[in-house]
Amino acid sequence: MDLSPFDDDNSVSCRLVSEIPEVCKTEDCCLGIDEAGRGPVLGPMVYGICFCPLSRKEELKDLKVADSKTLTEAERENLFEKLDEAKSYVGWALQILSPNTISTCMLRRTKYNLNALSHNTAIDLVQYALDSGVQLKEIYVDTVGPADKYEHKLSQRFPGIQVTVRPKADSLFPVVSAASICAKVARDRVVKGWNFTEDLGEVDTDYGSGYPNDPKTKAWLLKYLDPVFGYPQFVRFSWSTAQTLMDSKAVNVHWDDDEEDGEKAAQRQSNKSMLSYFSVSAGGNDQNATHQAHRFFTERRLKSLNTL
Amino acid sequence: MATKKKRTSNVDNDSWVVIAPGGTEITHFLLFSFFFLNPADAASLYMLGCGDVMLYEVKAFEDDFHSWFVGQAVQRDGRLIFVTPLDPLFLILPYLIKSGKEEKFQRVDQVVKDEEFPACSRLLSCARTLASLHHIAEEKEVESQMYHRYSQEKTMNWLKKKVERTVIALKKKNVSVGEGVKSSTYVRVKSETDNQEEDFIRYSHGLISEYITEDLSKALLTHLGLPELTSPKETEPPSKKRKLSDKPVEAGEDYTKFNSADFARKPPKKMTAAQKSLAKVDKTGMKPMSSFFSPKVKAEKK
Amino acid sequence: MSCNSSVIRLCTSSVGQAPQAPVHLMPCEIEHNGPAQVNQYFTATTKDQKQDKSVSFRGRGLKGQEISCPQGYTGLVLKEINKPGSDQEDRTVKVSSVFDKMTYWNLETPPNSDDTIVMAMDWPDLAEAIHAPVDD
Repeated sequence: MDLSPFDDDNSVSCRLVSEIPEVCKTEDCCLGIDEAGRGPVLGPMVYGICFCPLSRKEELKDLKVADSKTLTEAERENLFEKLDEAKSYVGWALQILSPNTISTCMLRRTKYNLNALSHNTAIDLVQYALDSGVQLKEIYVDTVGPADKYEHKLSQRFPGIQVTVRPKADSLFPVVSAASICAKVARDRVVKGWNFTEDLGEVDTDYGSGYPNDPKTKAWLLKYLDPVFGYPQFVRFSWSTAQTLMDSKAVNVHWDDDEEDGEKAAQRQSNKSMLSYFSVSAGGNDQNATHQAHRFFTERRLKSLNTL
Repeated sequence: MATKKKRTSNVDNDSWVVIAPGGTEITHFLLFSFFFLNPADAASLYMLGCGDVMLYEVKAFEDDFHSWFVGQAVQRDGRLIFVTPLDPLFLILPYLIKSGKEEKFQRVDQVVKDEEFPACSRLLSCARTLASLHHIAEEKEVESQMYHRYSQEKTMNWLKKKVERTVIALKKKNVSVGEGVKSSTYVRVKSETDNQEEDFIRYSHGLISEYITEDLSKALLTHLGLPELTSPKETEPPSKKRKLSDKPVEAGEDYTKFNSADFARKPPKKMTAAQKSLAKVDKTGMKPMSSFFSPKVKAEKK
Repeated sequence: MSCNSSVIRLCTSSVGQAPQAPVHLMPCEIEHNGPAQVNQYFTATTKDQKQDKSVSFRGRGLKGQEISCPQGYTGLVLKEINKPGSDQEDRTVKVSSVFDKMTYWNLETPPNSDDTIVMAMDWPDLAEAIHAPVDD
């Protein structure tokens, strides 16, 4: 697995692929989809697909691929080696969603939630397999959200292919376990060797599992909090763990689409104009004393100043 | 997601990002506040530079939700302040017009004088002022002493030249001038190009009018051969302006804080020297100016 | 006669010595006045693709563009020194840095010529037309 395309720019989403085995283009195939790193506040989320001819399903089972979560990192690396050795009939593809991609998508003006992001990433990977000539007949998917809806969505999107969306699919279907191993191996390697684009000098890499409840992760998040910038792009800003820490320890930042702020601002403005109205009627001063500037200025947000 | 924090006010602001003419040749500036035209207006900030030789106007680009990074620092105040030249004649004009009522030639240093606002005499030291007074006044020399008398005719020609020059600048900058001029009572019979030309002239006239009294503005329109569009209020109704900006034009500004009414009744606890002088001026000194200009303004409003 | 309305003295004699500083106009209000690791976090992660730049700040995607100061104009960053204890005293402001171009950033929207800051840069030329001396 060559991670250099992602390491070159780890702020964006990146696709890594194996060669497509010739046999997958001629024989009916099954394909498994799984993800790694959905929960952590650190590092990328990786989507993986793995595929092989239906006729070789059992051979995949014999490789003893199992749910990646029950394996140690070393065991996963080992199994990935085995998958690589089986490259004559097993292919895979990965989509690495950088933490920056996750943050900026989830915090977009028009919110783009993680489920939508995940589903679209999975769909894109399946489409990639189809476009590469893989003769897909069956798709197996591990899911976090409601299985029925997702299964329906995928079946609609890929007519003629039998779609099975199932919680814990990675322990039920070897092809999903294989996808899960590819995804997890990629995520582990990326997190371990994270290339900080920020100029932070030597960064302590003892960030634990990356899960918000891991004390090591928590300690790391406290250590690397910058009062103005918050965090390096390694951190998912959209996670409440990061948000809460920034709310309490970093300076406040306000955007024009902060809903509450927007309301507050509107309120403030209407208060102000109400106030000026009252002061006018009470003081008997000319209400329209304030001069209305030419639209050249209002369109350019240019105002006269009365003091510096 | 965590709840958003309330915005606090930026009380300790002590730095500004400015765009100013020239580079290193700028040596010394003096900023001062000055009531311009309508004393009921918020005072504007002006600037004298290079030993009182140049006069500048100070405007700020101010859009909500902005801050600066300057080098290795944050400046919370996201305004961009523009310092641009201001023709001192615009500030002298009201004094000349006032004295022009007496229809006699006077020494300009006797005219441009204000007990409560001594700074106005400094306008006469601006390099171009004395040399360009003939644009707005007739001149007479008696025993090597110059005397001036306001001339509406000269002033109109002077303003017309400014309008024409502004039209050129607007075209060069591709400023969109069209949609501002609309009137139900004024039906166009001219060609599209003529219309466009007229739009440019009206737009320029509007810009120049920012610096002159309402009376002069109307006279200038006639001088330019343009029919008046019922009333300025209808030409550019506030509602229309609001569409152009995201928020009500009045509400975003701090005028109310420096409104003369507010000052008269309840001065802010902590006033700067400038604000103090403003407050003072408001109460007494500018009365003559006020009575000179405000009847028009008031008649307009109701 | 002393000028009682003089409020701020601006010593720009130090313009020549003031360092050039990169300036960025951010599309958000940052409740802070003071030092920040702009180079380490912001400049280091900024991507330059042709004219357009992109970066993220606090997990939000920004798109930016460099604009020059209007011709004949210089960017100055002014800083108030020795804030007077009493409001009767004149205030003094000095030039802390200078710039001839700046980068402005939009939240997600690619920069274009209709952006208000770009339009605002028209003002000095228009001011010149309105205020320059009229020929005889």
